[in-house]
Amino acid sequence: MIETENLTRKFGNLTAVDSLTLHVDEGEVFGFLGPNGAGKTTTVRMLCCLISKTSGTARIGDHTVDSEQDCLAIRKMVGLLPENVGLYDSLSAYRNLEFYGRLYEVPEQKRRENIEHMLKLLDIWERRDDAVGTFSKGTKQKIAISRALIHDPQLLFLDEPTANLDPEAAKTVRDFILELKKERRTIFLNTHNLDEAERLCDRIGILKTKLIAVDSPRNLERSLYNRTTIVHMEKITDAVLTAVKNLNSVKNIRVSENKLILDMDDPEKQNPELVRTIVEAQGDIQYVTELKSTLEDVYLKLIREAPSTK
Amino acid sequence: MRLWKSWIVTRKDLSMFRKNRYILYSIIAMPIFIGVVLPVIFILALGTQSTQLSHAQLVAGAQQIVNMGTIYFVLIPSVLPSIIASYSFVGEKIEKSLEPLLATPTTDGELLLGKSLAAFIPCMAVTYFGSAIFAIIMDSWSYANLGVFLLPNPYWALVMGVISPLACVMSVEANVIISSRVNDIRAAQQLGGLVVLPLIFLVIFASASAAASNYLAFGVSIALTIVDILLFYTSKATFQREEILTKWK
Repeated sequence: MIETENLTRKFGNLTAVDSLTLHVDEGEVFGFLGPNGAGKTTTVRMLCCLISKTSGTARIGDHTVDSEQDCLAIRKMVGLLPENVGLYDSLSAYRNLEFYGRLYEVPEQKRRENIEHMLKLLDIWERRDDAVGTFSKGTKQKIAISRALIHDPQLLFLDEPTANLDPEAAKTVRDFILELKKERRTIFLNTHNLDEAERLCDRIGILKTKLIAVDSPRNLERSLYNRTTIVHMEKITDAVLTAVKNLNSVKNIRVSENKLILDMDDPEKQNPELVRTIVEAQGDIQYVTELKSTLEDVYLKLIREAPSTK
Repeated sequence: MRLWKSWIVTRKDLSMFRKNRYILYSIIAMPIFIGVVLPVIFILALGTQSTQLSHAQLVAGAQQIVNMGTIYFVLIPSVLPSIIASYSFVGEKIEKSLEPLLATPTTDGELLLGKSLAAFIPCMAVTYFGSAIFAIIMDSWSYANLGVFLLPNPYWALVMGVISPLACVMSVEANVIISSRVNDIRAAQQLGGLVVLPLIFLVIFASASAAASNYLAFGVSIALTIVDILLFYTSKATFQREEILTKWK
């Protein structure tokens, strides 16, 4: 659905996005992580044909981000939720959506149905004729998401959809994104919220002007850190230690109080053998856990190690 | 260029203006004031002359005064766009609604036309409304006292049909350019007023001169059209998606 190759954008001497090569499959929820000024919004703006690229190529579906004609087609097939909701405060929720429905060329009957469906789904239907200025931030965000979906786009760009929302409103928005995910829509999600990215995204790209890494949250965690098994024991004897050290599958052993901390390649396959070995060495196991690195650990490690390219 | 797309934008803006009392009162007050007060002053002035002048002299004098008054209806569409256009463009900046608007499948030209029409239509509507009041009062007086209708006349038709709309277009375009450089509605209005001031003087001077001869009036219209075309290309260069998103802070 999205293909970019060496996509670059410069503002004068400043490189905002540098040689971004990326693909996002149809139906995928792709998370774009990066610090402020990493180029996430610039990337989205280039992909939505809002600003031009300096070099490289980008394709959305069958259209290249280039000519005016292609850009019109791209804008028609994508929905954008920008960082600022940008609704018209003096107009009602319904009128706001109707205005955008018309601009996206949604036929009248379909437009009415879509607006009703969205507003009912997000529990705003009863207040459809109220001016948007009277709504809370969370409700405005919901209306802005509805606006992005008014023309039933195949691809949705969400730029910080839960930023500045209270936990309850953020959860409503996240749940809504999960609903959209079930509908197999392609979603490109810019976010700072690592927990949100981990929960919603199939794959994650980490950007700091250049793309640093792309993979599923789980694979990213595993690629950077050893997988570690922790065996909680009643007592660690020399016999147990010797037996464990003799195992080929164990790469590194540390002992902390009554815990054996073991780096392993494939704990799912190797843990049963480990447990059998300890039991055979008369060790009393209380329980076995896995020490997990979080997406936050991965993100911080990658961002700190990434060279500054600006 | 799909005009229906521009019209969607225009309708939305007009509907927002209707909800804004400040804009509504600001644009209605001036034409009504000029449309009512001006003929009253003229009638009083002509009344003092009626005993000293012949009928023919009175008609000629009244005609001259009416033509002078018509020039005010060039002033109105030159001034009012600074109120409306500043809301139209800077208002979008303030509400941060430009990005979703620019993300829709509309061209820059369609958006610019839609926004410009939203400023142009109400300004010209109230100008015509004020002018109609002016004409009705003046004609009522002239028919009752001189037995003739002073309006419409060819000069009035030229001003209302050509010079006034051209002056309005000029002012709207100047305000589009100003809006791209400022972030505050008041600043946009003040600057808008300031920038169009020399243009207003030019238009009034030209319109007043045009009253003397049809050739001059034609020349004024051509000159205004050229200024409008130049400003149009400047405003079009200013109103580009990329410029708006990266430079309209």
